[in-house]
Amino acid sequence: MTERKLALNNDILMSIEKPARYIGGELNSVMKEKTQVKLRFAMCFPDVYEIGMSHLGMQILYGMFNEMPDVWCERVFSPWTDLDHVLREEHIPLFALESQEPVKGFDFLGMTLQYEMCYSNVLQILDLSGIPMLQKDRTWEDPILIGGGPCVYNPEPIADFFDMFYIGEGETKYPQLFDLYLTCRDEKVSREEFLKRAALIDGIYVPSMYEITYRTDGTIDKMIPRYDTIPKTVKKEVVRDLNDVYYPLKPVVPFIRATQDRIVLEVQRGCIRGCRFCQAGQIYKPIRERSVSTLKKYARELMKNTGYEEISLSSLSTSDYTGLQELLEYLIEECNQKRINISLPSLRIDAFSLDVMNKIQDVRKNSLTFAPEAGSQRMRNVINKGLTKEDILNGAQMAFLGGWHKVKLYFMLGLPFEENEDIEAIAELCNEIAALYYETIPKEQRQGKAEITASTSFFVPKPFTAFQWAKMNTMDEFIEKATLTKKTVLNQLNKKSISYHWHEAGTTIMEGIFARGDRKVSKAIQYAYEHGCLFDAWTEEYRHETWLEAFDKTGVDYSFYIFRDRNEEEIFPWDFIDAGVTKKYLLKEWKQAQAGIVTQNCREQCSGCGAGTYQCGICIQKK
Amino acid sequence: MSYAVRIKFKRTGPVRYLGHLDMLRYFQKAVMRSGIDVKYSEGFNPHQIMSFAYPLGVSMETIGDYMDLELNSEPDARMIMNRMNDVMKEGICVVGVSVLPGTAINAMASVAAASYRIKLRGNMPSSVELDHFMQQEHIVIEKAAKACGKKGKHKDKQEEKPVEELDIKIGIMALSINENGELVTTLSSGSKMNLKPATLVEVMNRYLNLSLVIEKIIRTEIYRKLDDDTIVPLGEFDDQTKKES
Repeated sequence: MTERKLALNNDILMSIEKPARYIGGELNSVMKEKTQVKLRFAMCFPDVYEIGMSHLGMQILYGMFNEMPDVWCERVFSPWTDLDHVLREEHIPLFALESQEPVKGFDFLGMTLQYEMCYSNVLQILDLSGIPMLQKDRTWEDPILIGGGPCVYNPEPIADFFDMFYIGEGETKYPQLFDLYLTCRDEKVSREEFLKRAALIDGIYVPSMYEITYRTDGTIDKMIPRYDTIPKTVKKEVVRDLNDVYYPLKPVVPFIRATQDRIVLEVQRGCIRGCRFCQAGQIYKPIRERSVSTLKKYARELMKNTGYEEISLSSLSTSDYTGLQELLEYLIEECNQKRINISLPSLRIDAFSLDVMNKIQDVRKNSLTFAPEAGSQRMRNVINKGLTKEDILNGAQMAFLGGWHKVKLYFMLGLPFEENEDIEAIAELCNEIAALYYETIPKEQRQGKAEITASTSFFVPKPFTAFQWAKMNTMDEFIEKATLTKKTVLNQLNKKSISYHWHEAGTTIMEGIFARGDRKVSKAIQYAYEHGCLFDAWTEEYRHETWLEAFDKTGVDYSFYIFRDRNEEEIFPWDFIDAGVTKKYLLKEWKQAQAGIVTQNCREQCSGCGAGTYQCGICIQKK
Repeated sequence: MSYAVRIKFKRTGPVRYLGHLDMLRYFQKAVMRSGIDVKYSEGFNPHQIMSFAYPLGVSMETIGDYMDLELNSEPDARMIMNRMNDVMKEGICVVGVSVLPGTAINAMASVAAASYRIKLRGNMPSSVELDHFMQQEHIVIEKAAKACGKKGKHKDKQEEKPVEELDIKIGIMALSINENGELVTTLSSGSKMNLKPATLVEVMNRYLNLSLVIEKIIRTEIYRKLDDDTIVPLGEFDDQTKKES
């Protein structure tokens, strides 16, 4: 093969940070002859390379698309601010990594939307590619812009920018969509006609096919399809059997260190625990496991094909994977031999997990992590976090006896129905854990003092959760709550063993607006981008003042989306999506939360959430 | 008992924008994939025992760089080369493997010189000018002196760094222009005098009043020095009668 020609010349590459972000050519990246394919797909993660390359979903679709002989899928990431300036000044169009050719010439531009704070980067990608930001201004000269990922469970704030969204798991409907596209291009139909036909594919939402009418109070009155054929609801797509679906056994291995610098083995999708704040727990229902034998095979292949020195098990709650023990026994054996480390995020701390960690971790004990999410038992019942104080204290005690002395705890502030004593309970819990260390471990055996690190983030209500009706705290309330937590920590006997951190409140407010916003919000997003907002997920780049100005100048009252109680009858912007879980079930959960009543997990008892319509995973297993 | 091989590799094309640490990571993964019986260090954080002769700067190509790898079992040079090349990616490949004799000192410590091909932009000097440049008695550069003991005297003031002059003539071991108009040079490396291609171009610009800009540097070979002061490529151990200095 002849040497690939880079889109950027030597002078540019030598003037920017980490030029290797933009060169492509990594192990397992795919080159094809462009004249031999019919459809070119640019897969974009709208953040920097190191973040985007750490995302499993992107690797899945990249690998899957490139297995199709007629399709060539390439990757695109946000150029960091240094290259962003150069591209604008030198009028260099944004390019895909593999062919180094402009994105504008592709058939599709796919964007994975993993967090709301990437929305300004979405516009950056379009802008730098020379693709009109607004959907209505595009022609066949432009790629079809399709969005996917968790944010599309309320795509309305960015609906004006996208041609379509893919609601649900990407493995199922892309072949059908690509076929339709190729047929439409052959038949030389209009772009509008293609979109109209695409809207008939399950899981595909084409926002331009709907008209939204509003009531005088600003809430939605109706969402009306513009043609009779267009469906009123879009049902999320689900892979029914994870043992019978594509998995990337030859993932692209970056040259530079990505955030996730290891093999990722997805053991299951979905979660049995109905934590009321958690969107992932609802939208990925029902839980579906991969079999241990499939995972063993994948692990071996992945080790051979990547050369990574670490493997990580991935899922929302790995402790709930029923084959965990068998899988880990196998991996420990295999990995010891090959000198590969095992990392186990999202494990509940109990006797089993501590035993495993003892086997896989070296003698320098790292910290252990608990996610109680709330300080008081009452509050943990409100959010349906099935973790009791006893669980935490037992786990911590076992850990101390096992030689650990560092404990990390994650909490949320601003949860619905929160009182001051719930906040104070955060510090009290930390204090109890520290005290337990000193009680459990005799002075002469201690390796220094207990190190308890408590972090709080501010709660953002998300669509398709029981808390989608909840009002969010204001910035001042957030800061007050964090201050109260800090003050209470300082009042504890073991305050010297506790350190407390809290996350930025500004981005939380914006996240809240985008999470439950409607189509009116898009004007503010465009304004903010055009006035310099970019990389909002990066604390040092985030410009709160510009965002506030954007809402002000575009006349969008953001408090409407976050500081307002929603009544039970309200039509939400995302109600057109059928995600399996019903609004009726979520409303029941909202009421249970108010009453502080716990709902059992999917394995204990079915709570009739609605995900059963997918007829797969736990919903069809014999209890 | 441990064994070691010296691996000669090439890096051309877009991968030249990798930093040294990225290259290290790349080779660690490649060795993992190859299934070569590499030796690991002891301690809390075992890693492959691998060392590079001369870290490659970002944007430099090479057709003659080296790394040493320690192994647990008696190596078969041909097999190691094949196994490595089976798992390589665009632009990087192994061009030679030699089994290290027990007496060899590690790659990095034995580096004495390196040769380069430099693609330049701008008006190239004529061969007469080049000869003239090389026939000078001294070729002097200014170099930031090593920190001298005085500390904390004027902490707040931005003191000008002391500069010392250095005659680099002895370090320019060969210099010519090839048929493609590229500068071809061999420069002294290692602890005694470590001369970089960019320094050479800079000093040429100054002495010959040119404004050459480096487009690409290709390292063509790395050498070690024998007792008689001659240099041989780092991967050559044929002449076992000569001892390394």
